[in-house]
Amino acid sequence: MTDDGLRLIAAALAVGIGAVGPGVGIGVIFSGALQAMGRNPEAEGTLRTYMFLGFALVEALFIFALVIALLIAFRIV
Amino acid sequence: MRNRILAVTGVLLVVGIVLYIIGVRSTKLHISVSAEPVVCLGGARATLETCASGIPITNSLITTGIVLIIIIVAVLAGTRNMQMVPRGLQNTLEVMVEAFYNFAQSVDRRNVTKFFPFCASAFFFILVSNVIGLVPGVGSIGVCVPTEGLKEAAVVAPVADVTMAEEPAGASDFFASWPLSCEKGTTLVPYLRAPSADLNVTLAWALISVGLIQFFGFQALGLGYLTKFFNFRQGFMAAIVGILELISEFVRIIAFAFRLFGNIFAGEVILVVMAFLFPYLLPAPFYAFELFVAFMQALIFSVLSLVFMSLATEAHDGHGSHGHGETAAH
Repeated sequence: MTDDGLRLIAAALAVGIGAVGPGVGIGVIFSGALQAMGRNPEAEGTLRTYMFLGFALVEALFIFALVIALLIAFRIV
Repeated sequence: MRNRILAVTGVLLVVGIVLYIIGVRSTKLHISVSAEPVVCLGGARATLETCASGIPITNSLITTGIVLIIIIVAVLAGTRNMQMVPRGLQNTLEVMVEAFYNFAQSVDRRNVTKFFPFCASAFFFILVSNVIGLVPGVGSIGVCVPTEGLKEAAVVAPVADVTMAEEPAGASDFFASWPLSCEKGTTLVPYLRAPSADLNVTLAWALISVGLIQFFGFQALGLGYLTKFFNFRQGFMAAIVGILELISEFVRIIAFAFRLFGNIFAGEVILVVMAFLFPYLLPAPFYAFELFVAFMQALIFSVLSLVFMSLATEAHDGHGSHGHGETAAH
């Protein structure tokens, strides 16, 4: 196995495994927010703001994994 | 109005597909993590990303200046002729600042006047600098720098020059003399680059933000703020928790810097890769998503600064108020 092949496997694994946790997290955030909106439709505006805030925070974790994968794939680290 | 937008989009799509078929598309994928110097003032270039001597004027530095000019000119023009009933630009600016002020007020009503100036400045600077990275021409117009003689650039992607072979004969000759493409042996160094896609800029904002958080903590609690981190009177567990708090203060710098840098840089990389895979059509939905990300990341940075500041000004436990009357407010 060549060095390039190992790098590609490492980059793919970094993105693939790194997407698992944030995927679960985004699901939990949206399910919680949708349930809360269903029970209390008046609070929808506030809930939507905090829902997207949480979404962006969780998504940042996946972005970390993506950046690491790019750094590996383009031979920077 | 909506029909007109749809018509323009459709015409652009058709033009793009025609251009794709006759072979006008990106054939070289170049991604640089750090901002490259456009010129080295009074010196020579060592590699593509560094200067051997002289002052490096990087492309993100130039764009930072442009962002500042945009904000200053907009604010000056909006406030030059202020009226009680705002119209035009003044109205737009007031709506934006007021919406953010109301949001900040809902986070911390007591100290909002103290925290608002920094958080709003961070929000508007980061918003403009995120959006400016999506303007066509930023990152694609630049000067061709010869890479021969320089150290081997480590960041040229392994998929370079893949589609060149598929082009019909004659086309490659034509596009080799294309004024907008770089010759072989040279690499494009763009004149402009989004400031938040440069780790130096985001690290600077993160350091200022975390420094201000500590400043407001000391201002509100005095030296009692330190007992949040060095708490040896309430047993072993409290001491460990205090040390963990201290570590998390430093982790905040890294998290702030890399969250913003990672989102904007990864967005640019995604757009480049999508434009490489299927030009003109595939980048469009990602472009819309990047606009959303640009706004959200600016909001995240400023709101997180605000929340951490308001956490730092609160006493960490009920019974250890350390003789400060203000901290016993709740």
